[in-house]
Amino acid sequence: MSVWRNISELGAGLWTTLRQLGRTSTVSYPEEPLNLPPRWRGRPVLTRDPDGDERCVACQLCSAVCPTRCIELQAGERPDTRRYPLTFRINFSRCIYCGLCEEACPTLAIQLLDEFAFSKEHHADFIYEKEALLIDGTGKHPHYNFYRHSGVALQDKDKGEGINEKTPVNVRSNLP
Amino acid sequence: MKHVFFLDGQEIPFIPGQNVLEAAIAAGKDQQIPYFCFHPALGSLGACRQCAVKMYSHDSKHPPRITMACLLPASDGLQLVTLEDDVHTEHREIIELLMTNHPLDCPVCDEGGQCHLQDMTVQTGHSVRHYSGPKRTYRNQDLGPLVYQEMNRCITCYRCVRFYQDAAQGEDFGVFGSRNRVSFGRLEDGPLESPFSGNLVEVCPTGVFTDKVFRHDYVRVWDLQQGPSVCPHCAVGCNTTPGARLGTLRRIRNRIRPEINGHFLCDRGRYAFPYATANSRPLQPRLQGEPSRQDAVLRQLASRLEEGRSGFLGSPREDLHSNLGLFALADCLHAPFAAVTSSWAEALAQQCLALPQAPSLQEVAAADRIVVIGDLDSIAPMAGFAVRQALRQGARLTVLASSRTELAQKGDYRPLRPSALRDQVARLADDPCLQGGRFPVLLATAETLGPSGLYALRKTLEKLPANARAGAFVNRPNLFGAAYFAADGHTERLQQALRQRKINHLLCLGADPLGEDWGAGTWRTLAPGLDGLTLLDMVDSETARSAEALIPVAAFPERAGLFVNYEGRIQAFSPVYRREAQVLHSAVHGSGFPEAAGGLKHPLGPPPPLFWLGRLAEMLHLHEAWQKRLDFYLHFLCPEQPDPEGPGVLLPDTIRARFEIAALPATRAVTPEQWELDIFRWYGGETLADTADELHSLAPARGLRVHPDVQAVAATLHGPCGDLQLPVIACAEMVQGVIAIDQEGFAELGLYPGDPVEVSWEQSR
Repeated sequence: MSVWRNISELGAGLWTTLRQLGRTSTVSYPEEPLNLPPRWRGRPVLTRDPDGDERCVACQLCSAVCPTRCIELQAGERPDTRRYPLTFRINFSRCIYCGLCEEACPTLAIQLLDEFAFSKEHHADFIYEKEALLIDGTGKHPHYNFYRHSGVALQDKDKGEGINEKTPVNVRSNLP
Repeated sequence: MKHVFFLDGQEIPFIPGQNVLEAAIAAGKDQQIPYFCFHPALGSLGACRQCAVKMYSHDSKHPPRITMACLLPASDGLQLVTLEDDVHTEHREIIELLMTNHPLDCPVCDEGGQCHLQDMTVQTGHSVRHYSGPKRTYRNQDLGPLVYQEMNRCITCYRCVRFYQDAAQGEDFGVFGSRNRVSFGRLEDGPLESPFSGNLVEVCPTGVFTDKVFRHDYVRVWDLQQGPSVCPHCAVGCNTTPGARLGTLRRIRNRIRPEINGHFLCDRGRYAFPYATANSRPLQPRLQGEPSRQDAVLRQLASRLEEGRSGFLGSPREDLHSNLGLFALADCLHAPFAAVTSSWAEALAQQCLALPQAPSLQEVAAADRIVVIGDLDSIAPMAGFAVRQALRQGARLTVLASSRTELAQKGDYRPLRPSALRDQVARLADDPCLQGGRFPVLLATAETLGPSGLYALRKTLEKLPANARAGAFVNRPNLFGAAYFAADGHTERLQQALRQRKINHLLCLGADPLGEDWGAGTWRTLAPGLDGLTLLDMVDSETARSAEALIPVAAFPERAGLFVNYEGRIQAFSPVYRREAQVLHSAVHGSGFPEAAGGLKHPLGPPPPLFWLGRLAEMLHLHEAWQKRLDFYLHFLCPEQPDPEGPGVLLPDTIRARFEIAALPATRAVTPEQWELDIFRWYGGETLADTADELHSLAPARGLRVHPDVQAVAATLHGPCGDLQLPVIACAEMVQGVIAIDQEGFAELGLYPGDPVEVSWEQSR
């Protein structure tokens, strides 16, 4: 009995192999583009909000959470007190594409997009400055704009004009 | 007997009089009880309802009840529980209530990472906001260049008002509005007037008040390099925690030292730090005004010293180690050395040191009879803060001064000309203002009182009860350290040597003899006799600009050292960071990796003075002798090396006794018709602090402050070393017959506080 079972299992295996004849699952990358899954963790970029302004507010959560400490930034301040990264630097010879920075980012600024294969001749060339990281788009989240939710006033947004905000209170009123 | 109560079954020791929350925090159990409105220095209020605990009664008659830990006096055997569901629900729901209107600001809020509200919210487990309605908003106020307000974030714990109005006794900040529209701020936009306004930043448990100076060069607290340091801006020596990142100093926070500054720090201590990052700060050696290399400057200096015609000038602005190093080098070379720039300042330093043990600020706060002489707030604001704490406890305050200062408005004010001040101090022993006191304390601003006034103060103290104490304050961190070297006639000898052409070169450490230091007028007349002047300093000064060679030195948080404060307390500070160039862009620095890449750093930081002096001694083949002398003096003055984290070491009385000076210093007689000079300062004014832009923007205008009776727009003062022409500022607080000018003015005239002066008034333009 066991002989017949072994032969039938061999046959089943052979049939699986024969079924693949004529099909190809190898992609001839890089001649052909890859179809990457949407959650693919490639090179991190900095995105912009729907208004076209940079999303990053330099809160430094990404650099704090980064296990390889490859992110370094310095906060700057615009005249209207809006925070932005004065410098933002990622050392891609250290980055392990773990995606923790993307998880930590409260403004959805840093996103791991689909670029994964890039090579340089020198380690120093792997240090990407802000101008190389900042893209002209919203990335995976087309609608989110952090500053519309936060309570701070900006040049184009007064107190009370944010989402889910009341108009500023009149502290001099004594009405009940 | 040890007193204990039980919190969740754990024994918590307490001191009778403490409340449960206070004892729990002291025992490190604040993880179990969240709180907001309680502050160790401001006490309990019971307003936030956050610190709930469940109390079980001793008998079974009463059911257990939930009560506020901050209002519950600790008593023996008390059984408290926080781990039960109803207590936890209370904690979570109160937090949710407080968070109802709290904006979604944490990423752009400077408090993030050091926020009490964040900590407490995480601790209680509140994460989802059930209320989905719109949030309340406020318009912010502009509170000046030091404190930034973002009123939306307020949880109405009232800590800010309790600090500003009760503890600091400021009058221009309060609570406005009604019901849930309560707002904290000033009546109108404008800079906060209190010299302690920066404490709002630390007192606020959330991000309503944040540090505006730190804001411009912000970094999260977890990225800061921090360490123990001592404030270098006045003689009190408050303990601080500087924070630095990427080789630059970013902020100063208070470090709790109960004997001195407690939980608070004055605005000068908090906001004067940008002297270390100022563009004007010398970072590279300069020779004849041109940037030069370290070894070239040192060679030049060594060849100067080899000639054997050099004088040495230390400074009360520099720490004990550096002054000792300079003194030891002068000793090795048998060259004249002085620690201060004028004989008057020398006598002042000696008289300060000759005073018996001064009270610590903790003791000042416990005094019941206080006499303040001069404008204490503008010299040593934290001493003024301690006086305010004593006032809260019901102390009686008498202020003797030539102007009605803020402190004078809180007590019994006696307007006196500086010359009358000295006589009045001599008569204080029989004065009713000190009668009937349990613990009388006299606090003087040393410069207003002058050497003879300090002498009179010492004599008065001998007549007072044995527990009476006196302290004299200056705005130099180490006058008492420098006073060790300020032996009789040293400065005069140095100036004499220069006059007689015995020396033609001066090596100065942290001094500004050609700028604003005491006696600068005399030095300016002597300057033509100098072939060269070498300066070791960390700020750009008049002397630095005209020096032959300028050697930059490390700022105080960049090095280790010792300061001796007004009590004779020797406190150590340790290096917190290394000054480096900030790598803003990897392409700018061709050498490659920024710090994050683990690559090269760019050291820019100048070494401390002791390093330079040691190198010099090496070049002069004196290193062994120099080191031996340095160690000997250091061991003599400070046999026990203080710990930077500890409370410091008080000078032994035996060392003090060596400086007992019997002679009464000479004073110039003043007739009532003559105009008298007094010193005008403001709380943020000090040599290092003057280079801090934000703080300095609050500085009052320069001028001659006189009583409004004087009908003049400007005046020229005539002094032995020069004239001083300045606009007149009518000041209703001034006493008649007194002109108050700044230290720079005194330096230009060659006069000292309390001296008579000739004036020519200009009636109109």
